[in-house]
Amino acid sequence: MKRTYVIGCGKLGASIANECSRRGLEVIVIDSNPSSFALLDEDFSGDPKVADASNLDTLRALGLENAGEVYVTTGNDNLSLFLAHASSTLFHIPYIYVRFDDPALGILVQSESTIKPVYPFQLTRDRLNRMKFGGND
Amino acid sequence: MKIVIAGGDSKAEYIIKSFKDRKNELVVINPSFEVADRLKKACFVNVYHGEPWSHIALEQADAFDADLFIALCERDTDNYATCLMAKRMFNARKTICVVDNPNNVEYFKKLGLDSVISSTYLLSQSIMNESAVESLTKMLSLDDNRVTVVEKVVLSKFALCHKAIKDIRFPKYASIAAIYRNYQIIIPGGLVVLEPKDTLVMVTAPENVKALVRYFETEAPEARSRKSRVKKPTAPQEKPEKPAKPAATPAKPTQKRTRKKAE
Repeated sequence: MKRTYVIGCGKLGASIANECSRRGLEVIVIDSNPSSFALLDEDFSGDPKVADASNLDTLRALGLENAGEVYVTTGNDNLSLFLAHASSTLFHIPYIYVRFDDPALGILVQSESTIKPVYPFQLTRDRLNRMKFGGND
Repeated sequence: MKIVIAGGDSKAEYIIKSFKDRKNELVVINPSFEVADRLKKACFVNVYHGEPWSHIALEQADAFDADLFIALCERDTDNYATCLMAKRMFNARKTICVVDNPNNVEYFKKLGLDSVISSTYLLSQSIMNESAVESLTKMLSLDDNRVTVVEKVVLSKFALCHKAIKDIRFPKYASIAAIYRNYQIIIPGGLVVLEPKDTLVMVTAPENVKALVRYFETEAPEARSRKSRVKKPTAPQEKPEKPAKPAATPAKPTQKRTRKKAE
């Protein structure tokens, strides 16, 4: 089975990793700060790794090249952008999900079909609009 | 030329000062308020405070259609995003991305940036050149390490010393660009005879440097010890170009030696 990589173990990254682990996927979580792994479940079955995600050689050593899918949830949009592009162009990972705080960065990933960007800003705004002005969820 | 200088502290200051000119239109943008303020006072230019990788900031700083866009931020990935933004959204003609991690040079290029410079790489190269005293080999890589310029000093013990270029069977994978002798540049022709202390500037591909150095440092089989002792009085006089016969090599020092004794 191809492994799932989660880069950035913040609140979002940790919850994605927990979810994938619960669903029986083989998960590798990467973060530069070991204390962030405290957010993982007690019965988390995946593999937490301490590594600097801005260094592609380290990620390669952790086997990112053979990933089945990757979730990029670092706290830095520029780092996320770079990791998304690298995962797509250099490592040819078929499914890449990226969280961006700045929706303007979407323009830089839209040409690549394997990269699926998610913008919490837009999601929140749309949801709030719907709550206020009605419409379907 | 319209030049955008994004991020950077002392590097930015230096580059601003070297490009500041009536002919150049400079757009300076810096993410740190303190640095932006300092640059403004130090260089007498307008500095826009904002994150250079943000679309809005670049728009407000009017960074469109730059002829040259230089990204000098601290983090490599910030410069990556800045250059991509400049290229794709702001129609920059040439972007220069400065990186800290030398390995990123290759990766960033594969991801579509046209010019990536690693200060660490350049630093290590100069350190190597500075420390290369004992081997007397200086090197400079050009065009992203596709061309290497090698500088070597001719020693009297080398096989190619005292020989004409046409006779030394110089390897085909390299070429002699210039000879530096007595503070003068000599353009190498087949008849130029190599003398001790000549500095040869040679051009080759990076993978051939080792072979070139090995060829260069091949020592003459004959009269090694004798020659090095007699080397001192060799006055660096301009000799008329003469075809050096292989036999002339061992003969010359002996002549000088006898002459010296006679004096």
